[in-house]
Amino acid sequence: MTSRRTFLKGGVAAAVFAPAIASAQAAAGKVVVVGGGYAGATAARTLKTLRPATDVTLVEPNPVYTSCPFSNSVLANLREIGQQQFRYDGIKRTGVKVAETSVTAVDADAKSVTLADGSKLPYDRLVMNPGIDFIWNAIQGYDEAASQKMPHAWKAGAQTVLLRQQLQAMEDGGLVVMSVPANPYRCPPGPYERASLIAYWLKVWKPKSKLLLLDAKDAFSKQRLFQNGWAELYPGMIEWVSLSKGGKVTAVDPATLTFTTEFGSHKAAVANVIPPQRAGAIAAQAGVADRTGWCPVEPVSFESTLRPNIHVLGDAAIMGGMPKSAFAANAQAKVCAAALVELLAGRKAADPILINTCYSLLAADYGISVAGVYRPDKGQLTDVPGAGGNSPLEVVGGFRGQEALYASSWFRTITSEVFG
Amino acid sequence: MRRWLVSGLAGALLLAGPAWSADVPPGGPPGASSCTGCHSGAKIADVVIPRIAGRKAEDIVTFMREYRSGAWPSSVMGRIAKGFDDQQTQAIAAWFAAQPE
Ligand SMILES: Cc1cc2nc3c(=O)[nH]c(=O)nc-3n(C[C@H](O)[C@H](O)[C@H](O)COP(=O)(O)OP(=O)(O)OC[C@H]3O[C@@H](n4cnc5c(N)ncnc54)[C@H](O)[C@@H]3O)c2cc1C
Repeated sequence: MTSRRTFLKGGVAAAVFAPAIASAQAAAGKVVVVGGGYAGATAARTLKTLRPATDVTLVEPNPVYTSCPFSNSVLANLREIGQQQFRYDGIKRTGVKVAETSVTAVDADAKSVTLADGSKLPYDRLVMNPGIDFIWNAIQGYDEAASQKMPHAWKAGAQTVLLRQQLQAMEDGGLVVMSVPANPYRCPPGPYERASLIAYWLKVWKPKSKLLLLDAKDAFSKQRLFQNGWAELYPGMIEWVSLSKGGKVTAVDPATLTFTTEFGSHKAAVANVIPPQRAGAIAAQAGVADRTGWCPVEPVSFESTLRPNIHVLGDAAIMGGMPKSAFAANAQAKVCAAALVELLAGRKAADPILINTCYSLLAADYGISVAGVYRPDKGQLTDVPGAGGNSPLEVVGGFRGQEALYASSWFRTITSEVFG
Repeated sequence: MRRWLVSGLAGALLLAGPAWSADVPPGGPPGASSCTGCHSGAKIADVVIPRIAGRKAEDIVTFMREYRSGAWPSSVMGRIAKGFDDQQTQAIAAWFAAQPE
């Protein structure tokens, strides 16, 4: 029989141990991270480091990650593809469980994901970082099979190697044609860096060749810096055709390497098609992508505005003013991990500030940059006014070389922070 | 109390570990976590961008002010420093100053 006395004792004991129980509950928490790119790998690792008690599982099918940043230098023979590749051992050492498989379905109501073998993984919070997928046939005739003849090389790896081989096999005097999509897409300045570095390589090895950029836009990132640099470094080699001049590619023929635009057609010796994109397919399956194909999120912890307890980071997400870059994905992931520490403990996350800096190379020793500082404003990540912007147009000697050194320093640092 | 203890330990022992206190969010004050994309937390070879972990807070604040005003020439730091006011800069500087060098 429970006397009033023992009951009271129990009451006291419960009161004494209450803080311990509360912290044990706060220590619990299962977080599943989908995708081990710049966003997902950073999120998993940072969360585990900040809050070691969290059960963090990173789901990624590839044992080796191939980085897109600096992959344009592989095309120009300045780097080898192996220097782009990183394994997940460093992340495993932090205590993150790495599941080498894909997520095939997300059940937001049941708070669980299904893996390729049919097994299920429950979560308290899900962090989705699936990157991009291509919208095949948005350009008529451009599907996955066509990408074997006209590589996109916009997911680095075998496609990067294929495009490099095609460039090396091309006869001097051949025409390289690139097709660039409308916004938004992964890495806004990336196509122009690629054009620059291909020209850098052509100038040495195939100096009679030319490069044609067919663009579905009338303006692009760091445009004047690129165009000034092209005039200085590669006079007459790169021709940019804007949307209003007929640059938009509507169809391709992989058999003849022909591009059809609104104004005519161009036959290439080497063809690079950067197709229109959307968030990685699993985002739509999970119900976190909207009609644009990308994922709307709130600007503090990047939780989906469409499904609770699911956060979306990196290229897949709509991040207001922030571009789709590896720098941004890494910065967002660190902010999200810190926010999850608060959310899992039942607290509120504070408003963050984020930075982005994207370097582009116009030659091995010629770099330019764009930077921005962002904070939440009216439900969106917004540029802090007065901050950010491009490298200056007029510079003293050594400035572009210095920015090229900063670019490779950034790559060393970020890949060591994420995968090291 | 517990929070205070954890925060003292973290500051002393951990590189990018938790520093829970009433006003510093986990992972650092607003903006701090972005810096390590370029300014490495760990010591690594072949980088020309200096580390800022363990530097004196007042030195970091002075640099940021001079970058912001343009008194100290820079490539990208002037553009970034303009996104932070003195108070935000001081919080970030104090955070990095407390990290092991
Ligand atoms: C040519 C080029 C150059 C670039 N240069 C730069 C640069 O200099 N600086 C810069 O900041 N950015 C650069 N970028 C952009 C950068 O590559 C991306 O912004 C970055 O990779 C985004 O990271 P993410 O984690 O969102 O996506 P990703 O890096 O694409 O990672 C997504 C991961 O999710 C995995 N995944 C997808 N679906 C599933 C699923 N269902 N289950 C499990 N895993 C899944 C994939 O396997 C992949 O590993 C460049 C891009 C290109 C193409």
